[in-house]
Amino acid sequence: MRIIGDTSYPFLTYRRVALALSALVIIAGLAYEFLGPGLNLGIDFVGGTQVTLKFREQPELGELRSAFSDLEVGTPMIQSFDEAEKNEVLIRVENPAGEEGDFTRPILELLNEKYNADLANRFDINTQGSQGLRDLLVTADPDGMGGDDEAREAFYEPVAEAVLDFRKENGIFLTLDQLGEVEGMSTSTRDYLEGTLGLGAFSLLGAENVGPSVGADLQKKAMLAIAFSLVGMLIYIWIRFQLPYAVGAVAALFHDVLITLTALAVTHREINLPTVAAILTLVGYSVNDTVVVFDRVRENLRLHRGEDLEQLMNMSINQTLSRTIITSGTTLMVVLSLFIFGGDVINTFAFVLLVGILIGTYSSIFVASPVALAMNKVLVSRRERRRLRGRR
Amino acid sequence: MDKKILWRIVLIVAVVALCLWSLYPPGEKIHYGLDLSGGIHLVLQVETDDAIKAELDDASRRLVSRAQEEGVDLGETVTDVEGLGFTVQVPATADTATLREVAASWVPGYKASPGVGVWTFQLPPNMDKTVRDMAVRASLETIWNRVDQFGVAEPVIQRQGLESNRILVQLPGVDDPARVKDLISSTAFLEFQEVVGGPSPDRQSLLAGLGGSLPADSEILSGERTGLDGQVIGMDYWVLKKAAIISGQELRSARRSQDEYGQSVVNFSTQPHAADKFGQYTGSHIGTRMAIVLDNNVISAPVIESRIPGDGRITGNFSIEDAEDLALKLRAGALPATITYLEERTVGPSLGHDSVVRGVRAAVAGLMLVMIFMLIYYRLSGLNANVALVLNIIILMGVMAYFGATLTLPGIAGVILTIGMAVDANVLIFERIREELRVGKTVRAAIDTGFARAFGTILDANMTTLIAALFLFNFGTGPVKGFAVTLSIGILASMFTAVFVSRTMYMVAFAGRERVETLSI
Repeated sequence: MRIIGDTSYPFLTYRRVALALSALVIIAGLAYEFLGPGLNLGIDFVGGTQVTLKFREQPELGELRSAFSDLEVGTPMIQSFDEAEKNEVLIRVENPAGEEGDFTRPILELLNEKYNADLANRFDINTQGSQGLRDLLVTADPDGMGGDDEAREAFYEPVAEAVLDFRKENGIFLTLDQLGEVEGMSTSTRDYLEGTLGLGAFSLLGAENVGPSVGADLQKKAMLAIAFSLVGMLIYIWIRFQLPYAVGAVAALFHDVLITLTALAVTHREINLPTVAAILTLVGYSVNDTVVVFDRVRENLRLHRGEDLEQLMNMSINQTLSRTIITSGTTLMVVLSLFIFGGDVINTFAFVLLVGILIGTYSSIFVASPVALAMNKVLVSRRERRRLRGRR
Repeated sequence: MDKKILWRIVLIVAVVALCLWSLYPPGEKIHYGLDLSGGIHLVLQVETDDAIKAELDDASRRLVSRAQEEGVDLGETVTDVEGLGFTVQVPATADTATLREVAASWVPGYKASPGVGVWTFQLPPNMDKTVRDMAVRASLETIWNRVDQFGVAEPVIQRQGLESNRILVQLPGVDDPARVKDLISSTAFLEFQEVVGGPSPDRQSLLAGLGGSLPADSEILSGERTGLDGQVIGMDYWVLKKAAIISGQELRSARRSQDEYGQSVVNFSTQPHAADKFGQYTGSHIGTRMAIVLDNNVISAPVIESRIPGDGRITGNFSIEDAEDLALKLRAGALPATITYLEERTVGPSLGHDSVVRGVRAAVAGLMLVMIFMLIYYRLSGLNANVALVLNIIILMGVMAYFGATLTLPGIAGVILTIGMAVDANVLIFERIREELRVGKTVRAAIDTGFARAFGTILDANMTTLIAALFLFNFGTGPVKGFAVTLSIGILASMFTAVFVSRTMYMVAFAGRERVETLSI
């Protein structure tokens, strides 16, 4: 089976249109990012606190918002997370300017006051951990084990862990009756726990708090990592090929990174550490296509000496076209499945790769080769001039 | 069969067997990162200014009390942490020669600058560095002790850089993040102090009882007042003697226990020299109150009923967890300085669990799609590529298990991406073989040139990805590093499987055949 047969599209003939189009998109994107709404930098880079919770019942977002009016920080961003029926909520707050500290604690205290006031001092099965539960059982000893603390600890530890494993799988205890579904628990322990435990309104899925100094650090590191990897590519391709090709490849990478950032800005997706990781991956991946084309150009230069470079490039792009399309296709398949099945946590990561692979495929044909061609012309004509000058 | 082919097969079987062996059983061998197992990642900053202040306070106190013994009465001292020194009021009548002598022997190295009525003492040069360094080291050790006693498997607790005052703490598998955070960051500085006055519901009435002003050797501290049911119903204010009877450092052991009413308490025993001090004090103060102060909070102020020799009990409105944690902190020691959170990343166990389930689902779906496509597009050669792909994943996981690398959520994405990229090498080779076949080469020749020509391309293409992965590794924190590692191993493994293994499979398929007319590709 073949999708793409022998082709001879004159890709490079359209290079001016293509470059102009790319430039237009990039300029519009930069304008959007710097003059318009801008990039949505996540807490990894601007600092802030983010808490993800799972509620037993769908919380009223307006009510939740009003609970935060007491907290002396900017307006919190509250939105539901993942699928609606999971009752998961993401709360993001700015930290007080310039201050470092544990800002997840006041948020959780506030939520406890609002939703768990009726628990009093009961042990909250939805937020507390297995060690606490074990200690509770060791002290109460509902199974009448007797013996010293250590013996009882050994006995009750698996019970406590089984209870927490249940929470781990289901995210939250909806009712205390669900203790009946926990394996390996005696009736007396279960009765005791049902009478003693408190059932909190929410469980903590995750909490992140990044202070200003770490945020600034990460920002710097992210920029450096992207810059260094581009320089690394430039040097490698320069060594393996020639300077014009290196410039062409890196121009294509800049192109890919800028357009992907624009896509992130337009879709209001948050830029966090994994997003930057995805962009770096994209840099590594997108250059593959370009290298494959250049490799073929190098080979053709040897085979067809004296032929026009533009012709050779066109020929090389056409010869590698089916490979380019197929590889992008297979990678797109897996990234798409990641985008669809991977869940909210990894979604933006997959989005970057999805956009990046499409853009990268385009740029390896319409940006890398044209730029390399133009660079080559500049270098060649300069060399000519120098030679002429030398003769005089 | 050809000896060369045999050797290749032996090598492949050995590599795969080694990987399977290091992978088995997968549940134990593959380490999940914090984002998958749940847990806490913290970056803490030791406020080393606290340690400097403690050092300066200590020096000024030493100076004042020793000078007094020598007959020189000094006035108020003021500590200046930023200026790394302290000032002390020196009356005009004071004997400056004696003061200099006292200073030389009791605050050695300090640079004294006499002024009008006020002397300034400067910390010896470079001493602030030493003090700060010691504070970070001591904090590191205390946090180690606490985490160790709490029982977290495979914790990471390290200083970020040699000179830095930042500490990185990573605790996988923790299911009660709030408690563990408290455990790590609370100073846990315990003191037993003499009660001078109180309790009283507010500051003013306390001061009024003392005749309007607070004596220089006393301080006012507060604590929660609780009702009979354990609910907090207000605050109590106390006047306490500043100088502690004994402090937490002088305890030998501490354990959670229960008193006769079923209330959680902490039993402690003191070190021998402190036992004398404590016994003497309690023996001579029967019937008075003694405050138990933790981090400047009065947790309780029981009446001394009898002489307490070396063993005592701390009561308070403790839950089981509170008592357990206090006992643990007393055993592990106090932190020498306060600790500030710079970064916290907590992943609840259920979120991590969910991520694994979804990641695996995405990986399987992606793998299936790619395999089906390869089979349809390249037929038997596609089967060859698929075998190589499966081996690639086995090798990737095996190498990760062997080196104890951690699998993170972006790492799972890395595995998925590797699936997509690994077939890239095969596609390059197959397309090349097709080209060679089209120009009329024989099957064998086409395969030979296909592999030979494609190899250079594959090498160049993969090298660039490795360069990106290298910078990714340098840049990233835990999860991103995990991704870089996974991606790099995956790429290297794909060079082996797509080039070496695929080639061998063709060799085996055509071994012993004189002429090969057709190739299913």
